[in-house]
Amino acid sequence: MLLTEYEGKSLLRDAGVPVSDGFLVRTADAITRRKLTYPVAVKAQVASAGRGKAGGVVRAATPAKARSAARRILAMCFGAERPAAVLIEPWLVIKRELYLCVTVDPAAQGYVVLYAPRGGIDIERGKPPVRYDVGPARDFRAYRLREILRDIEPDASVREKVIALARRLVELASTRDCVTVEINPLAQLDDGSLIAADAKIVRDEYAAFRAPDIAASIASATRQQPRPIARALAGDLMLVWLDGEVGLISGGAGMTMATMDLIGDAGGRPACFLDCSNNPTPAGYRLAFDLLDQAPAVKVILVSIFGGLTQMDRVARVMKDIMQQRRARKPVVFRLNGTNAKQVADIFAGTGLSNHATLESAVAESVAITRKAGRR
Amino acid sequence: MSVLIDQRTRFVIQGITGNVGRFSARDMKGYGTAVAGGVSVNKRDSDVEGVPVFPDARAACGATGADASVVYVPAATALDHVVEAFEAGIKLVVYPGDGLPLRDAIEMRAAANANGAILVGPNTPGLISPGKAKAGFMPSFCYTPGPLGVISRSGSLSYEACFRLTTAGLGQTTVIGIGGDPVKGVSPAEALALLHADPETRAIVYLGEIGGNDEYAVACYASTPGAKPVAALIVGRQAPKGKKMGHAAALIGSHADTHPAKMKALLRAGVHATGTVTELVAAVKAAILSIPEMVDKSFTLDVPFSPRERG
Repeated sequence: MLLTEYEGKSLLRDAGVPVSDGFLVRTADAITRRKLTYPVAVKAQVASAGRGKAGGVVRAATPAKARSAARRILAMCFGAERPAAVLIEPWLVIKRELYLCVTVDPAAQGYVVLYAPRGGIDIERGKPPVRYDVGPARDFRAYRLREILRDIEPDASVREKVIALARRLVELASTRDCVTVEINPLAQLDDGSLIAADAKIVRDEYAAFRAPDIAASIASATRQQPRPIARALAGDLMLVWLDGEVGLISGGAGMTMATMDLIGDAGGRPACFLDCSNNPTPAGYRLAFDLLDQAPAVKVILVSIFGGLTQMDRVARVMKDIMQQRRARKPVVFRLNGTNAKQVADIFAGTGLSNHATLESAVAESVAITRKAGRR
Repeated sequence: MSVLIDQRTRFVIQGITGNVGRFSARDMKGYGTAVAGGVSVNKRDSDVEGVPVFPDARAACGATGADASVVYVPAATALDHVVEAFEAGIKLVVYPGDGLPLRDAIEMRAAANANGAILVGPNTPGLISPGKAKAGFMPSFCYTPGPLGVISRSGSLSYEACFRLTTAGLGQTTVIGIGGDPVKGVSPAEALALLHADPETRAIVYLGEIGGNDEYAVACYASTPGAKPVAALIVGRQAPKGKKMGHAAALIGSHADTHPAKMKALLRAGVHATGTVTELVAAVKAAILSIPEMVDKSFTLDVPFSPRERG
């Protein structure tokens, strides 16, 4: 879960990282009610990358200019995203832009610190940042990071400040369940001090059970999703819409992706990634059918599950019930295999439902149905 | 031989009184696995499926001499139970659960390292040495003994893949579900090292996907002199960029995460790699046929396999 800059900076402030004092406004006129020292920065609060290059950060020297900048930014789209608010901050006079990031990395078996002496919006075009593999947060050692920074950051005063900040970021990531804490740019001001001029913090959604603020962000993000996605999330299903016609109900990420690939190879296009493995219950499958039955683009539903813990005799009984009660007429193709799959044929016997022996034949039938639907 | 587990491995199941624990105790025993004991913190039953239940891991190990554990508890308490197992002296812990916070995954892995023990998981069906023992809940009929060591990031894909291999007569020494999370116990490089050292494993099959950088460890191994032949299936060609596809690590963030980049690296390293499950058996046969003394054995290529990058 990616936080907005404003939310991220508030976490940084709590962790002892210097940030500007800013405030959020949702309308341009709200700026007038504040007493400010100009110039200010007017910054779009969006998750999408490349905000600066897209014109989402503007310097405004007067209240009138700040209002017009805010009005313009609030009406802009960044990718598919419209900013719900803009952040107003004192405009920083930056001497040098640095890059500092702490993220979770498989090779480090934990946290890694990334640093580049030249950051900013073109960070990806420069030399890749140097890395210090920390591991668990308690294994952070200032001297190891100092060794790594010695050659690329000759300014000893900056280096020591970066090391102190890196320690705070590692502790923040660990104690507040952050996957990534990225400061780009970390601004060096004329007086030599460092301040986080931006913040990209990704929090770990899996930690929601112990972090009420993460749980609240997830709930709020879910409310803002289009209704089908919100319903899927609420029902513990994983739904990603794609733009095809084959509605795929499946279990397990790897098999879902393998099936999507086969649909593509057969000349069809998957309509979605819908993984029911977190909720393989009658309610979960009912919701999955409901979502796909209501999506006009979906011409056929392919149920492809290879169950381990999910017992296929139970799934087959649920499918039989759903097929008997469901009003929608969209054709459904089954390929069920896995634990207790031998019983599926008996359960389907006499219902008109059939179970494909192979994934390939199930995919072929599904794609053939979408072709027929396309010709009609 | 096999790696990590065989018929001599003695298991405890932590969380044995839950639905999954009960199901798995019955299933593992049915496969011939030595399930010596169970652990339940609010011990209501004295035995489950004929397995004695203990209040904690130390008691279970003391009474049964168990040296491995499968932990079926929710993510919220998983770290505590896994660390308890390590500190009770258990040298192999399988944690199949998903939804584990990264910080806890980091701590689990650190605890394994500190105790000189091995962790498999999180987010895995576990591992199986066909015909000998299983530690997890994969469907047993998908596996048969044979010369292949299998490593998989995805549970469901490993069932489908191994079902195809088994149907084609291509059995396995050990199938290790390393899991789809970014921080984990046994990593691809470690799984490769284990299978490399096992004399009965003649070739290695890797089942991967988009996102993360696990596949590069496979390419790195395959290009090492003396490496065993490797076949690979990488899924996710149709996945859109920037969306998380179920697994925490299955997200295309940078170019190296993409399907074409991974296929290119694997093919360049000499891996018999394919992007479609339909070609898996042919790719594996091609890998086996690259072992000189396997050529005149019973393996034949009925489908020609020519590795290539797919769009």
